[in-house]
Amino acid sequence: MEHDVKFISAIGGNPADATHPFLTKKKVFYATLISTDIMPDRPYLIGGGDVTPRIDMLRPLYHKINNPELKRWAVTSQDDTIGLTCQAWEVGAAMAEGWDIVYDKHFSGETEDFAPVVTAILATKPDVVSLNLTYPTYVTLIIEQLYLQGFKGIISANYIDTESVMQKVPIEYMADRKCANSFPLFDDPWWGEPSWQHEFIKEWNTKYGPGAPGDVHRKITGIDWDHVIMLKVWAHGAQLAGSFDPDEILKALRAAPSIPTILGPGVMYGKDMWGIDNMVSPPIPIAEVKADCKCKRIQAHLKFEQWFESRKDMIIKVVKEKGQYFDQRK
Amino acid sequence: MELTTFVQTIANSVISGSIYATVAVGLALAFGVMQMANHAHGEFFMLGAYVVYVFYALGGMPFPLAVLMAIPTIAALGLLTERLIFRPTRGNVLAGFMATAGLTWILQVLAGRIWGLGFMKMIPTPYMGSATIAGAQIGLQRILIVPAAVILLGLLWFFLHRVRLGKGLRACAQDPDAAALQGISINKMTALAMGIAGAYAGVAGALMAPIHAVTPYMGRDLLITAFIIVIVGGMASIEGAVLAAFILGFIHTFVTTIFDATSAVMVGVAFMAFILIVKPTGLMGRVKA
Repeated sequence: MEHDVKFISAIGGNPADATHPFLTKKKVFYATLISTDIMPDRPYLIGGGDVTPRIDMLRPLYHKINNPELKRWAVTSQDDTIGLTCQAWEVGAAMAEGWDIVYDKHFSGETEDFAPVVTAILATKPDVVSLNLTYPTYVTLIIEQLYLQGFKGIISANYIDTESVMQKVPIEYMADRKCANSFPLFDDPWWGEPSWQHEFIKEWNTKYGPGAPGDVHRKITGIDWDHVIMLKVWAHGAQLAGSFDPDEILKALRAAPSIPTILGPGVMYGKDMWGIDNMVSPPIPIAEVKADCKCKRIQAHLKFEQWFESRKDMIIKVVKEKGQYFDQRK
Repeated sequence: MELTTFVQTIANSVISGSIYATVAVGLALAFGVMQMANHAHGEFFMLGAYVVYVFYALGGMPFPLAVLMAIPTIAALGLLTERLIFRPTRGNVLAGFMATAGLTWILQVLAGRIWGLGFMKMIPTPYMGSATIAGAQIGLQRILIVPAAVILLGLLWFFLHRVRLGKGLRACAQDPDAAALQGISINKMTALAMGIAGAYAGVAGALMAPIHAVTPYMGRDLLITAFIIVIVGGMASIEGAVLAAFILGFIHTFVTTIFDATSAVMVGVAFMAFILIVKPTGLMGRVKA
């Protein structure tokens, strides 16, 4: 506040809960990575650049379109606020798409050995094993167990770090299982050439890639751009409003028929999900792991709002039954 | 529970028990000889995993060699701990426990500072793939744990029962005063116990490095399990620790499979409470005269 900061980009979750009263009073934007932080009493907390939980809600649709013969959906994630909330939205969406939910449990965040967890999942004979918003560390270990215990269906998740999983599982297995997830790579040919995304990755490699001054000793991941997206949205809103005043910026963003984001044109949305239209909603890229490039490649780019409008009653009913709707989580 | 799931769970339990046994016997041995608990035992396990990270994942050393490197490395840490913490606090159980609690945090912070926090360390699985044994699919990397545990536990048994130094350790564990009167150096025995404890925790961590998430905090929950095993087995009883390790491995694995991991921890603790009520000295512990 000493430096009159107008915009903070952070991961969200517990820190968002702790800081929002002060930031609301001071009228400072807080851009969270987790849309589930959005609530009506947090007028300046915005989110949505991170595709959670919309990606988790669209994956059942994606798999139903590609594999209409499949029926059995198993889902798991860690038993923290993020896992509980996002999994509730995914289960609602999966049921709305006609999937039979054969496994819907959370594992303890202290779990070290995922062999029994995966054994329990596979006992339900799922066609799809979804890892929802399981943290990347656990995703790697769970996928390894799925591989070791002979799972032959589809693997799907919020985010899969291909490089990490490849240390433990052959790329061919990952490709055969699809390993559908979001957080695409910005060198993906999908974006076209030239494209903002390709220019971004060139810039990133110049600064942080191999041999660069800030070499981070790894390739760019699917989440290195996670904070950029909301920064650009806020900057666009400030330009539209001609002001840094957060109320003016929100008004301008909500009035705009389309907001340019690095994932495509978005809109301000979310009243039915969070009680306030503070979610930036760009289209959601869904990628699958491919063996030829040993990486993930975008296969679809889905718009959320129209689909949600047609299914929201059922989805929200399920979320409320699980006690995870925004007005139940105070 | 279907038969295939049951068989798979049995296989998972055997692996789990093997890991627990390798970690817990060191703690039981050290406790038996020193009558003091090493709170940093979980961090010895953690550092064993980091030895593999450094030598195998980063250094390109063959995995078996990297595992062997963990033995002298963490044994040395055990010796240092005995010399700098347990020897000066001998007889003061609380002081020793609190000092090693401090060591726990120091080692966690050091590991975080040196190798970073965040996601788990990338340790390629050296033996990818699985084998089907009696209908259960078990990862090759995990199958390795069982013979390794058998060899390590067998070596320890041989050392304690057939080698003079090992018999000295047992004598110290049974009655340190009588052992001292027989000319056995308590300082040497406690150092030896902590060296072995460190080595065993380290090699367990090294074997588990490609299987578990390697982070500075990976030893934290394992320590609690190790303490439960030592208590259930009978303080200072190596055989009891091995038995308790497999029992707890089965309990944790079955309850996790049927319910969840949180329930498994609760059931494990309840089992410990039950044993203490029925047999306060533990499964194979003895009442001291």
